[in-house]
Amino acid sequence: MAENAATSTRLALRRGASSRWYGGATPWLFLAPFLAAFVLFRLGPVIGGFFISLTRWSIVGSPTWVGLANYRALLRDPLFHTSLVNTLFFVLLTVPAMVALSLGLALLVNMRLAPRIFARTSIFLPYVVMAAVVGVIWNWMLDSNFGLVNYALKLVGLGPFRWLTDFKLAMPAVAGVTIWWTVGFNMIIYLAGLQDVPRELEEAAMIDGAGPLAVLRHVTLPMLTPTTFVVLMLTTINAAQVFDQIYVMTGGGPGTSTLTLVQYLFYQAFQSFNLGYGSAIAYFVFLLLAVFGIIQLRLVHQQVTS
Amino acid sequence: MKRKTITRIGIAAVLLVGLAVGSALAQAPVTIDFWGGWTGPDRGVMENLVNHYQTQNPGVKVNLFTVQWTPLFDRFLTSFRSGEVPDVLAMHVQDIATFAGRNLLQPVAKDVANAGFKADQFAQTAWNGTFWGGTQYALPLDLHMHANFVNLDMFKAAGLDPSKLPTTGAELIAAATKLTIDQNGKHPGENGFDPTKVKQWGFGINSNHHAFYYFYALLAQQGASFLDPTGTKVAVDTGKAERAWQWLQDLVYKYKVVPPGETNAFQDWVTGRVAMAVDGPWQLPAAQESATFAWSTTTFPNVFGTPATWGSGHVLTLPVKNDPAKRQAAIKFITWLLNNSAGWGTSGNIPAMLAARQTQEFKSLPGRTAFVNSLPFVVFLPDIPKTNQVFSAAGPSPIVVAAQSVILQAAPVSQALKQLIDGANQILATP
Repeated sequence: MAENAATSTRLALRRGASSRWYGGATPWLFLAPFLAAFVLFRLGPVIGGFFISLTRWSIVGSPTWVGLANYRALLRDPLFHTSLVNTLFFVLLTVPAMVALSLGLALLVNMRLAPRIFARTSIFLPYVVMAAVVGVIWNWMLDSNFGLVNYALKLVGLGPFRWLTDFKLAMPAVAGVTIWWTVGFNMIIYLAGLQDVPRELEEAAMIDGAGPLAVLRHVTLPMLTPTTFVVLMLTTINAAQVFDQIYVMTGGGPGTSTLTLVQYLFYQAFQSFNLGYGSAIAYFVFLLLAVFGIIQLRLVHQQVTS
Repeated sequence: MKRKTITRIGIAAVLLVGLAVGSALAQAPVTIDFWGGWTGPDRGVMENLVNHYQTQNPGVKVNLFTVQWTPLFDRFLTSFRSGEVPDVLAMHVQDIATFAGRNLLQPVAKDVANAGFKADQFAQTAWNGTFWGGTQYALPLDLHMHANFVNLDMFKAAGLDPSKLPTTGAELIAAATKLTIDQNGKHPGENGFDPTKVKQWGFGINSNHHAFYYFYALLAQQGASFLDPTGTKVAVDTGKAERAWQWLQDLVYKYKVVPPGETNAFQDWVTGRVAMAVDGPWQLPAAQESATFAWSTTTFPNVFGTPATWGSGHVLTLPVKNDPAKRQAAIKFITWLLNNSAGWGTSGNIPAMLAARQTQEFKSLPGRTAFVNSLPFVVFLPDIPKTNQVFSAAGPSPIVVAAQSVILQAAPVSQALKQLIDGANQILATP
């Protein structure tokens, strides 16, 4: 079949001199608008950002070259260390829960139970809401004095909890809101992955006497490995770059208990006018995620080949 | 005949074109760009004033552009690269150094004199706040400072005299203790008082950057300042500083008159959870609209002897720009705005101009008395080029971290103070 395709392509190319020129430039012309925008707004700034991170620049005036000084300063900066630890804490709080919970929800929704469409929609709906709106609404819901959450807890005799003003509760509270907000997206990805698990395999396993849990463990989950990989990667990258909801809900507080890397970057670059330093933080996050991505790839590769 | 006709038509055409162009030029309004950071109800008040001015002055168009202060200043800095610098930029008293220090503002002493303004027409603190390094860079629009909002109904119910509102620290704690009532009707200090079952608190304070402003005022009440005279280092008397923070922390944990974990003192006050709350005059419109009880205001408590209250003020500046016609129009607009600043008083801000405060329009606004009485005692944050970084209201700024550690976490005051001084010095030290 491949040879036929090659022959017909060669025939088509030879048929008209103009079609050879067509074949060469046309795809590029189609891609040009996207490529232009991509280079201008994505690739360019990424490269430019690296050069900015090697300077000291405060918007007005020109940048001053300082080499790797910003990166060296990062290593000594206690606030940077705090933001790194907080970000890792946030990742630990959200990623496992997001992956496990979304898988569980996807499995539940996938079963042919009566309210599955309502369940699917209502679990996914929060994802459609904008970050700022999520932050503002949950600020009110989690308020220690007049929030709905504390009111509901009071009805069963619990609380009141100082969700956003207790140094130890603030990060879990923000993590909880984040899970509520984005678990639907992961669930949809898992649902799509579940459709690709061949029913025949599951049925064969059941015929061989496997209970539902065993089917899950030995058939469904291994088949979902690529999906899990995607979900894990996306969730981790998003968690490491968390900013919007923290900015709106706590602003990094109370104290520095919810200060994350991107939050600190924003503070340095746009509130303290240290663009070079902010860029250096951004590149550090990039390196962190690149390392994580490579580790993940290796693990998945191992699992696939084993 | 033909040539004559053509000539006549040609002359007529030229005349018509000339007339059209001439009238277009004559009618072309001067447009000035006026930037400010008001995004709440005060934006509406300013918009009305601007429209009023344009109705009275048809040859001038004033474009009011508002966005929150932080992105506004970002935009202002980048406008010098894009070339769309505003003609009038509003800012706060303590922002002047940031921009004048970068040579982005024009000195206004001559314009002030030409417009006929004199120092004694304005509140002294407001007037003094428009100077930096001996040069006047702005015209004072208003001042806004802390005061204590009081729920008079709760006062009466607690057996307190509503005509004798607390003004000293001791009076405040005494009143707040009587106003803090738990579910069994007990007050703090009484046997059986349960701080976890309080149904009404006596006092409310914010735990954000405003808590640092309380501290700053309490320092000034002891005659101390935060930075050294050059404004490049922290040089604070640690004894006095710790006393200031301790007084605030004690309100929550020792006297138990402030609810722990409070995030929005004014909201708690207007919903009847606390009997008194410290906030600024920008809340006056909300109080007028939403308070369902009789209320009044009293001055920020004088705890340590010398009356002092944190405050700031909006000022109007002229960014550096090479356009004499627009500059003229800008000054004319600012002059009008100051002379009509009684209208601005409805936004809650206290007009800097004495004459505006003496109008019936201003005097009929409720709750302003305590704020007006505070005018001579307002202390501003240091006006240095790095004010917005050292005293940043956002995120991990050292003042916010310190305030939250002291009030939300009950951290030892000496530890929080040390972190504050180190953090502030670090920002001041970076070039």
